[in-house]
Amino acid sequence: MQSLPGANPENPHARRPGAMGWLLLAPMLGWLALFVIAPMAILLLYSFCTRDDLGRVVFEFTWSNYARVFDPIFLQVLGRSIGYAALTTLICVTLGYPVGWYIARQPPALRNRLLLLVMIPFWTSFLIRTYAWITILKSEGLLNATLLSAGAIPQPLELLYTPGAVLLGLVYAYLPFMILPVYGSAEKLDNALVEAAHDLGAGPVRAFSEVIIPLTWPGIAAGVLLVFVPAIGMFAITDLMGGAKVPMIGNVIQSQFTKARNWPFGAALGIVFTLLFVLSYLALQWRGRRARS
Amino acid sequence: MKIIRLLVLLGLVSLGATSAFAAKKKGELKLFAWSEYVPQAVLDGFTEETGIKVSYETYASGEEMLAKLLSGGTRYDLIQPPDYIAEALIKESLLEPIDSAKLTNFSNLMPEFLNMPHDPAQKFTVPYMVGTVGIVVNTEKVTEPVLGYRDMFAEKYKNRIVVLDDGRELATAALYVLGKDHNDFSPENLAAVRPILAEWFPRVRLFDSDSPKTALLNGDVDLGLVWGGEAAILWNENKKFQYVLPSEGAHLFIDLLAIPKGARNVANAHLFIDYILRPEVSKLISDEFPYTNPNSAARKLLSPEQLANPASYPVTTRKLDTFRHIGNVGSAIDELITDLKNTR
Repeated sequence: MQSLPGANPENPHARRPGAMGWLLLAPMLGWLALFVIAPMAILLLYSFCTRDDLGRVVFEFTWSNYARVFDPIFLQVLGRSIGYAALTTLICVTLGYPVGWYIARQPPALRNRLLLLVMIPFWTSFLIRTYAWITILKSEGLLNATLLSAGAIPQPLELLYTPGAVLLGLVYAYLPFMILPVYGSAEKLDNALVEAAHDLGAGPVRAFSEVIIPLTWPGIAAGVLLVFVPAIGMFAITDLMGGAKVPMIGNVIQSQFTKARNWPFGAALGIVFTLLFVLSYLALQWRGRRARS
Repeated sequence: MKIIRLLVLLGLVSLGATSAFAAKKKGELKLFAWSEYVPQAVLDGFTEETGIKVSYETYASGEEMLAKLLSGGTRYDLIQPPDYIAEALIKESLLEPIDSAKLTNFSNLMPEFLNMPHDPAQKFTVPYMVGTVGIVVNTEKVTEPVLGYRDMFAEKYKNRIVVLDDGRELATAALYVLGKDHNDFSPENLAAVRPILAEWFPRVRLFDSDSPKTALLNGDVDLGLVWGGEAAILWNENKKFQYVLPSEGAHLFIDLLAIPKGARNVANAHLFIDYILRPEVSKLISDEFPYTNPNSAARKLLSPEQLANPASYPVTTRKLDTFRHIGNVGSAIDELITDLKNTR
């Protein structure tokens, strides 16, 4: 996953797909229509409905669900989710960019092994990895046991069920999604350009900010999108590592479809959340286009 | 070569499909029940005896069950609703009647758990297991007596408490403390409940409905508002975990077996219910999930230690309340809880 390409009129190879092209695209388009567009349409429909006593959807038109989305309670939840996601993205960029860059600078054999190390955790279920963190961080867990026996702390640290634990869980889950795109971008970087910058008198800082960052921007953008958007909706980590104390938008939406049995309101929240994604995607597109021109 | 591989694959797939179809011909039962509530041994025993294949799907909350049932995805044959949800289902005529004459073991059930408010005519449900919600105290860490909600949520236990992540349970606890009707969630009552919960929430370390015993066993918390069955497991693990029914008010819950309307295997469902009512089968369930067993014949088979478990069989002279159906108000409770969790 490299850049976010728009229509490129200068590309001499670009042309409209012929009949064979459409045939090959057909399964993919069909899958998209059936499993992405149709559900979104249903969600849109539900968001304008109400519910009955038992929680079933009633097809009566109403704006009340959308009005409720902008209730201060839920705006606060959304704001908090965005805050956590933004902080997670920031930490992931700070930690992930150097790693991606470093791996790209290595000889190919070592490069592949390092990439493997980054990807091995994905072979285990995400939920199990989160539970592993609980085992490490709990009062009688590995971390506290080690610190206590080393005499570093008098009492066990209460690390679990705190905002810090949630952040740790989020960064841990999404770091590879930042490292890999950055690596992809950095690998294609022509070192000659960096050398040219040095030859022209740029110091390391300037070379970094004015040559390396813009050239690897597609990787950063992809990484940011892959981390920021899912992190907003992540509810499992808040529940498991945060003790379900502080609701994120994902938790609220989930509870609308289960505990609160208010599907129309959950649908409205979902639609608003999707619009947020579309807006951030467009923003990144615009930024990328500005950088290119 | 590629064609041959494709044909082999197709052959295997169709073989698998036909074997599944063959199993269907013998009879099946689609069970939709709570997670951690029906032991595998019970299901295996039933299949061995009758040849009926049981598919066991689970949920973690009554509302989740309702949501999935009403969405009409799968036609379940047997569901396990809690009492207040069964009440709603009966009201909306969504259950098939259960013919208790067909159940040879029906007389094993204790009369105090029959003809309850949710099903006064005892026509649509059969009690499965009974439980309570109460306070677990780690008596090694907590030396002062904790008799009720006010004691439990004291400032000195800040950050050492776990509670169920269940809006209705928490709001009910607050209503008990206020001395109001525990099924009345009118806007005035909710407004009165708000400051109490607002005081309690910052003192809670975590909310967990799935497995609150974990935090207590880990030593992360010393007090918990938990399901009776979880408390019973804790007591079996270590007698330091004492169970107390809150003095301000306590309720019991009955989980029932019921047949949803439109079920395809009604006869099989009746067979399964009758099987569950056998004392030796009911004992197996109690062995693994130590809730309160409503089957008097099964209770005779339990060990003295099981019957002495204060969380399984709480000793109390009080008549315990039950939850009633509250309808749309559930949404208002959820909003209150979200709002309070927001402002910690």
